[in-house]
Amino acid sequence: MPAARTNVLSVSSLHKTYGDVEAVRGIDFEVADGEVFGLVGPNGAGKTTTLKTLAGLLEPTSGEVVVNGYDAGDPEMRRTLGFLPEESPLYEDMTPRSYLRFFADLYDVDRETADERIAAALDRLDLDARDRPVGDFSKGMKRKVAIARSLVNDPDVLVYDEPASGLDPTTTNVVIEFTRDLAARGKTIVFSAHDLHHVESVCDRVAIVSEGTVAAKGTLDEIQAEHGRVEYRVFTDVEIPGAERLDADRGDGVRYRMRVDSMAAVEDVRERATEAGGNVVDIRTRESTLEDVFLAVTGGRA
Amino acid sequence: MSPRRVLRIARWEAGRNVGTIDRRTAILLACTLLVIALVTPALVLSAPTPGEGVYRVAVDDANPYHAPVAATDRLSAVPPGANAVERGRADVAVVGTSGFVVADSAKGRAALATLRSATEAYNDRLMATEDDVAAAFPVTVDVSYVERGTRVSGSGGGTASDAGDGTGTATDNGGTTADDDTTADSGATTGDGTGTTTAAGSAASAGTAAPRVSGDASAPANTPGGLTPPFPLESLLLAFVFVLPLNVVIQSYGSSVLDERIDRRGEPLLVSPATRADIVAGKTLPYLAAAALVTVPIAYAVGAGVASVLAVFLLAGLFLAVTFLGALFARSYKELTFVTVTVTVVLMAYAFVPAVFTEVHPIAAISPLSVVVRDIRGDPFQLGGFLLATVPVATAALVCYGLGLGVYREEDLFTQKRLPAKALDALAAPLTSVRRVGLLTVALVPFVLIAELFAVAALFVVPPDIAVPLVLALVAIIEEVAKSVHVYAGFRNARFARSTRTALALGLASGVGFFLGEKLLLLTRLVGLSDLTVGGAAFGNAALGAGSLALLAAPLVLHVVTASVSALGARRSARGYAIALAGAILLHLGYNYTVVTTVG
Repeated sequence: MPAARTNVLSVSSLHKTYGDVEAVRGIDFEVADGEVFGLVGPNGAGKTTTLKTLAGLLEPTSGEVVVNGYDAGDPEMRRTLGFLPEESPLYEDMTPRSYLRFFADLYDVDRETADERIAAALDRLDLDARDRPVGDFSKGMKRKVAIARSLVNDPDVLVYDEPASGLDPTTTNVVIEFTRDLAARGKTIVFSAHDLHHVESVCDRVAIVSEGTVAAKGTLDEIQAEHGRVEYRVFTDVEIPGAERLDADRGDGVRYRMRVDSMAAVEDVRERATEAGGNVVDIRTRESTLEDVFLAVTGGRA
Repeated sequence: MSPRRVLRIARWEAGRNVGTIDRRTAILLACTLLVIALVTPALVLSAPTPGEGVYRVAVDDANPYHAPVAATDRLSAVPPGANAVERGRADVAVVGTSGFVVADSAKGRAALATLRSATEAYNDRLMATEDDVAAAFPVTVDVSYVERGTRVSGSGGGTASDAGDGTGTATDNGGTTADDDTTADSGATTGDGTGTTTAAGSAASAGTAAPRVSGDASAPANTPGGLTPPFPLESLLLAFVFVLPLNVVIQSYGSSVLDERIDRRGEPLLVSPATRADIVAGKTLPYLAAAALVTVPIAYAVGAGVASVLAVFLLAGLFLAVTFLGALFARSYKELTFVTVTVTVVLMAYAFVPAVFTEVHPIAAISPLSVVVRDIRGDPFQLGGFLLATVPVATAALVCYGLGLGVYREEDLFTQKRLPAKALDALAAPLTSVRRVGLLTVALVPFVLIAELFAVAALFVVPPDIAVPLVLALVAIIEEVAKSVHVYAGFRNARFARSTRTALALGLASGVGFFLGEKLLLLTRLVGLSDLTVGGAAFGNAALGAGSLALLAAPLVLHVVTASVSALGARRSARGYAIALAGAILLHLGYNYTVVTTVG
């Protein structure tokens, strides 16, 4: 990430408790201007609580959240932010057009500009039914209306909680592509997702949240370097202690496999195979995926 | 608060409601309003009187008794005929100018008594038209000399004292207010009235005076027909017309508030630049306007004035405020129905039961509807009564909205806690310091006043021997709960450290807050409510603190001590709070009993 970018969003020592339950236990991260930042973690890790605090919906028990220079509780901050909650809560008797106009009005957007933005957002989201009650819509269509609502004030910062959750593959692709499009237009985006593939494909940086804390943070490469590992699979034609015999005979004799995690160990296997009168016939490497890292960091909870 | 956003939200709320009402409901609502619009003026014009025409008098048109009968609501003239009474066509039959045939029943006797009083009232009205008042109302004085110390019976049913000061016990006419057509027998008549008075009554316009009706003129006139209803029925009906459409408004309002909470629909609004106050004010405004649209035209239609409109408007505000709070606490439409029905019943009872006794009893002054009733009847405006009727209602409404705003936020709005837990959350929300505990106690005093007034209104008809202890107990319970429930909520929601020192500080703050806040109860003095036996039991404490410097400290110490006891229990657990609260109530009860029995 370019060093010249300034942080538009920062979370410092964020704590949030609900009664006796400590949902967030000291989360820290910053997001730079134009960056796409992903929050991933198992259910109940504190992602949604963190995002709602960013949006000013929840008051931190302690810690500081600053967005665009405003404290997250400042109503002025809300003018610069678009929030998409996990569900798509809409007034079902309203049409998309009237619903979006209403919210644009609350953000002091004049009617002409509002109509332009509404039309542009719904066009890009491929939603044609603009004058039918939202109650008649499918879940995907409602999601599109909710996304359009998050854009009526043309915010600098977007906070999206599971934007593609529960959608069919086609709609999911539309939403993910739209998010990429927003990122390309320079919007700063913080979003959470369960589907790690989406995170990998959209985010510049990621924080893995587990049990209310950030367990890992950085670019995907940085996280993989820090928390991931490279696995070496060494295949021999002779049995050595600790090797796994492969049942499948591919016509070139019996094979044995050793899994090791360093080149030094590979060299050790080679020496032992030679001593046993055989050879190393193949070496393969496998890098950890984000999912592997996620499972490793979170202890396998999802 | 941004007025522009408030109006925008209000416009949206109104538009949504209009858009969601189906045609059938709209027709039903329109019909209801039409019926109310038609019935209201009809009620005013007809001025319905219970018992109208209940007694039938068989009397000829030419008979002098016909005019008094025709002029009296409770009497109706039927054609005379053979055996009118025996055949059940009449309760009394007039025979000639001095004879009466009376049905051998309680109703027949009541009819005769009514005819008698109606005749006297009629004659008095005729006499009043005479220029020579002395001739029309001659005063007859019987003088008899008696020795000092000899008690004699007065002819009017009273007893003359030996000093001759004339303080007899006047026979009360049913204990009701003086009514135009009810004449108390002043004793000016002589004898039993069996004579056939043929007073001049020559005034052409007034017609001929009717002869007096034979019978025992001194007999009490509180027969069923003679009793004027103790409440102004027509005015109450009109007052009811004010409040009835409010039910439609609060049902709609409660649904709208709950609708924001279902499926988190209100979440995007909370993220918008609109503040909580903007949102609540905007959502409430259309319903407040609807309440005004309902009350103002009706008020003008029945001839009520600004004071009535304001009183009913504030009552409507309380309806809306309590509904708002209830809708924030309810978890489902089913619970909301329970809440709105409870709100309607309790507030209607608070408004209507006391108003029944307007002009009869000072207890009526607690109800905003009594202002309407008095206004419609043309009684002079009383500032004290108006304040007592409206200040508790208005402040209670504001406090409800204040508490509701405290929990109109994401983490309270969408949770599915039980109703009591939500109520405790609402009470705990504003408690950010010890000082705020005292302020919240002050804010809860209007509810204390309403609850205590309600208790007094419910128990004032019960004999004092039973009512006074009950009122003392209820007052102790109400006040101790009001002083401590938010302290418990504060501990429960971890607003304060559970230490003895903190508990004592909170008890002190709450006790002092209540002591200052209860001065609101002095409003009851403005209308003489504290002069009642049960009223004195309920509100004597506030008056005690204000009226006597020497005794000023007593209620202050009481409130601080009992609040501290409850706070010490509240810091431990719910059970600890319950036990401590019971102890505080007993202490308070003992104090109240001592005050009532010793200070009076």
